[in-house]
Amino acid sequence: MIPMGLSSDNLTFLVGNLERLRQMPETPALPAFSERAVNFLASLSRLLLRDKRGSVDVKSYAYWIRRASLETAAREGVFQNRLGRGVALHIAPSNVPVNFAVSMTSSLLAGNCTVVRVSAKPFPQVDLICEAINLLLDGECAGMRPYICVLRYEHSGEITQALSSMCDLRVIWGGDRTIETIRQAPLPPRAVELAFADRYSIAVIDTETYLEQNPEEIAKKFYTDTYYTDQNACSSPRLVVWLGDRIQEAREWFWGALGKIVQRDYHMQSIQAVDKYSAVCALGMSRPGVRYVPGDTLVVRAELDRLTADVMDYKCGGGCFFEYAARDLEEIVPVLTKRCQTVAVLGVDRERVRELVFSRGVRGVDRIVPLGGTMELSFTWDGFKMVESMSRYVYG
Amino acid sequence: MIEDFHQLNPYSLEKAEKSRMLTEELKELTRFHRERCPEYANFLETVGYDETKVTAPADIPFFPVRLFKEFDLLSIGREEVFKTMTSSGTTGQRVSKIFVDQKTAMLQQKVMLRILGDFWGKGRLPMLVVDTPAVLKDRKSFTARGAAILGLQFAAWEMVFVLNDDMTLNVDKLREFTEKYQGKRFVIFGFTFLVWQHFYRELLRLNQSFDLSEAFLMTGGGWKKLESEAVSQEEFKRRLRETCGIRHFLDHYGMVEQTGTIYAECECGHLHASIYSDVIIRDHRDFFPLPAGKRGIIQVVSILPRSYPGHSLLTEDEGVILGEDDCPCGRKGKYIQILGRMKSAELRGCSDTYGAEFR
Repeated sequence: MIPMGLSSDNLTFLVGNLERLRQMPETPALPAFSERAVNFLASLSRLLLRDKRGSVDVKSYAYWIRRASLETAAREGVFQNRLGRGVALHIAPSNVPVNFAVSMTSSLLAGNCTVVRVSAKPFPQVDLICEAINLLLDGECAGMRPYICVLRYEHSGEITQALSSMCDLRVIWGGDRTIETIRQAPLPPRAVELAFADRYSIAVIDTETYLEQNPEEIAKKFYTDTYYTDQNACSSPRLVVWLGDRIQEAREWFWGALGKIVQRDYHMQSIQAVDKYSAVCALGMSRPGVRYVPGDTLVVRAELDRLTADVMDYKCGGGCFFEYAARDLEEIVPVLTKRCQTVAVLGVDRERVRELVFSRGVRGVDRIVPLGGTMELSFTWDGFKMVESMSRYVYG
Repeated sequence: MIEDFHQLNPYSLEKAEKSRMLTEELKELTRFHRERCPEYANFLETVGYDETKVTAPADIPFFPVRLFKEFDLLSIGREEVFKTMTSSGTTGQRVSKIFVDQKTAMLQQKVMLRILGDFWGKGRLPMLVVDTPAVLKDRKSFTARGAAILGLQFAAWEMVFVLNDDMTLNVDKLREFTEKYQGKRFVIFGFTFLVWQHFYRELLRLNQSFDLSEAFLMTGGGWKKLESEAVSQEEFKRRLRETCGIRHFLDHYGMVEQTGTIYAECECGHLHASIYSDVIIRDHRDFFPLPAGKRGIIQVVSILPRSYPGHSLLTEDEGVILGEDDCPCGRKGKYIQILGRMKSAELRGCSDTYGAEFR
């Protein structure tokens, strides 16, 4: 059944067309990691890696979907009894250009007919990837044509409703407010939803280990974790917890080295200085024990005398950090709330963090990665195994 | 003591003496608010305030003006609140709330009168307001436009609103007013955009002439909206001069958070700080004060706020100090130019800002 309200007047197709969209509810689902989907993605990878126009984010996406990487992912799970759910509707966020393709990738590997709504905001990355997809669908990967539509529409509850009513899976990116808005459109009874809410992340660094490393290299990694996405990705650490004895020394090296890279590579708008300073002041006003560290405004930071969950409510991005010197790893428990996504570690055994998560039964922490690895693409995200969550298991 | 300032001409202090007097008064105010407003005390602790290190107004911590939107900040008991002023945020989200007691309200009026008196002479003048009386409807809570008008009300001999509720020009009122005060000084006050849209353009369309040659056209609210329609400040003045015969222009910069200490425009087109307030321009890269001629973030200090900690504020406007103590108009103190509101940041990252796209 194709709902009313979808027409070529209100939908702009970057990939696919209205006819294919209309056919989707009748299109057979594919098994997980189908040859067709894997071949398509591997070819897409090849095209994008070859394209000289591709920016770093496009390249790392392309690298992630190369054949070897897909084959590894296929081996790591049990997929033989898994089949696509049917039609998957993805609402991509407006400010991470490549995310739409990442979401689409898991969805295709799961075997779904995949509809992605991309932001109305134009991005060269989106155009580039769609151009490559179209090239493949018009040529060697024609068999995937029925399975992909990438479209845009002006915010309209009516269209979201129409698309939602034909889907078996809905994937919402873009945070709490977007989720709230999209959820006003009900889903059919059998449909499931993956919603990616606002999250925050933290870093835990052991000073002794840090001081043995090359500060510049660590700074580069931490820059990738944070400034590379304006420190506004869910996975960007906003709190740095120090462990060990030589905290003062480590701090100076760490922020000093980071500052140099930021100075060189980061373009900060003047209002961001005010935004960051305001965030620190707001936290400081809400409770005693916050100390703003004066200095340049490219790296704004504040030292805390204790960790409480509310600290993470003071969100800013663009290089605004809270710092805490802990005597013991256990002290991070208060910030491992359900909004906590990633713990990036340096010199701290990941197993120790995982043990803490399990022994305390905290609601947060979906991911523990080495410092510098928060931006890495993965088929596991926010606690979901993506391909598994987007497919169904046929028992028997 | 603020009384010492009242003894002086509002533009009479030169750099060194002004700095000395302001610093003392601001230190005192900082102490005053720290004792009475717990959130402000926390703020001072956060930024590591140390009074013994203060040697100039620039050493007083600058408080982010937007935090008046997030906190109710009072240095008085709630029962002492005489009026609450609100400023409409540009993005239509949360509004600033400024709690004013009788004492601060009186100070604001007195200082505003002293400042304006320096431009249009002693005494109150009749005032034609290019706005609708509806803007003052809620007496307890005012918008920036309402607050600006109210701040001027006591400075007016008589206040006549020249726009109807639907923002059309009330030509009869205008005629009545100009006939009544023919040959006498009077004030026309309005936000720049309203003056342009609903006053100037209407007069142009009606093709009727009124004698406005003795009027002081006092404007506020900034030039952004007009500039977005490609009308510069110079163009605005030229057209109003040619079409309406206006000779005296008095633009000003001010904010609800520091009502009273406005920065008024002199005959040379410069906005002046009076002895009651000052401007520091800060570098966005390190918040260090910048010398004259350098563009940066505007910090304003004022010795009037007694009921809320608004005596030293980091605004979200950019500006530049044009000079100090040496304006050809003869007024001492800094004179500045406002370059407008800073653009809000567009960040990458996975959470959409306020889900704006789907609203």
